[in-house]
Amino acid sequence: MPESAWGWLIVVYLFLAGSGSGAFLAAVYCDLLAPDWSKSLAKAGSLVAGPLVAIGTVCLVLDLEAGLWEPWRQVYLAKNLSSMIAWGVIILSGFIPVALLYAAALNEITFIGKIAKKYIRILEYVGSIMAVATATYTGVLIAVVNGVPFWNTPMMPILFLASAISTGLAAAMIVAAIIDITTIKTLSNFALGHVIFLAFEGLVLMLLVFMSLTRSTEAAISANMLISGVLSPYFWVLVVILGILIPFILSIIEYYEYGEMPKSLVIGSDLLVLIGGMSLRALIIFSASPPQII
Amino acid sequence: MPRYGIAIDTTKCIGCHSCRVACQNQNGLDYTETFNWIKDKERGKYPSYDKEYVPLQCNHCENAPCQRVCPTGATYTTPEGVVLVNKKTCVGCKYCMEACPYKMRIILHHEGIVVKCRFCIEMVREGGTPACVTTCPTQVRIFGDLDDPNSEISRFIAESGAEPLRTDLGTLPKIYYKRS
Repeated sequence: MPESAWGWLIVVYLFLAGSGSGAFLAAVYCDLLAPDWSKSLAKAGSLVAGPLVAIGTVCLVLDLEAGLWEPWRQVYLAKNLSSMIAWGVIILSGFIPVALLYAAALNEITFIGKIAKKYIRILEYVGSIMAVATATYTGVLIAVVNGVPFWNTPMMPILFLASAISTGLAAAMIVAAIIDITTIKTLSNFALGHVIFLAFEGLVLMLLVFMSLTRSTEAAISANMLISGVLSPYFWVLVVILGILIPFILSIIEYYEYGEMPKSLVIGSDLLVLIGGMSLRALIIFSASPPQII
Repeated sequence: MPRYGIAIDTTKCIGCHSCRVACQNQNGLDYTETFNWIKDKERGKYPSYDKEYVPLQCNHCENAPCQRVCPTGATYTTPEGVVLVNKKTCVGCKYCMEACPYKMRIILHHEGIVVKCRFCIEMVREGGTPACVTTCPTQVRIFGDLDDPNSEISRFIAESGAEPLRTDLGTLPKIYYKRS
């Protein structure tokens, strides 16, 4: 019997869709609430959001088989609305154009950007709702799967949303530093965002593991795979220590040291958040354990 | 309209895999591809020890999770209660394979579509019986109409108290097992 049908392409998709929508939310937050000293972060976030989600969607399409070779079959993709993939197709086809348009508007790219700038507030509000929908839906996609008891919990979308926001903020901060290295000082203001969302992500992850240990035999098999089984080195090192704990501590220091932290540490901590977010999704997909049927 | 199901008596199964080969032959599958599995389960403790062979195939669930998650609607249920895949609209997203709690679906990479047990529906509609049922040397399987109280399958289920696997999952499977 086939064990897991999904592999790395789906993992990469889940990660990119999450971080892209997180970057969009970070950009909107900066532009609406702290416009003066966070311009470059808003610009960076808006520039990466659309492309990240779009590349993720390409991975999703590449994972299709008949739908890839005979692309016209994809017209059926939104036919059955009781499927989360159908909802995903609708959400993505709305979010990607809005995110690209927002990037054009905020950075005044071409005449389209200049026209879109007039409607920037609408793009921000509508786009934010769609970004939250994108990040959450990637979690719901696997949470409704009763073929894998470990995934089948409402905590999954919450975990994915928290991780999307922290990885999105990290992606935006890295690109902000690339565009304008002098901005790195002001990035300290956003370290607090990392502190809050990494703490929340860690808490939800801890709850998920603890609840899974007692929820059902199969969920416990998956959770044990993560905390003490074959996947445990990756879980503890890549997700918990490198992905959550170290960036959490670095972000606290960054926040209090205001602009005095070495640049390599600021960027390094953001890179670690990205590695952690990617590893988290990979481990959740690869720890899938089907119900014991006989 | 009948509501087809299969009753399986695992106490008769010798694990010869004839059902698997007959199924592959009937459906034109490669030897690595199958809609039929036999899993063995060791029961008890020496000297009161027993090995049970459990033939497995699609349960044609009435509340089929594979059908619910299929974005294109390629998975559908026929009026006879047989869950089928429309080869023309399947995109090969494999969501159904993840959703099936019994993991009874496979992907044919060369065709790019997901396939599964079809209860040999063409043969059945012409009055025949699925290949796995007729080929079995120990007559483990009984195929028939679950809604007809006088059918062989209904009487067997009533007498033996056979039950589907993992009824707690709420998928309402139509394969019944007599296991002891």
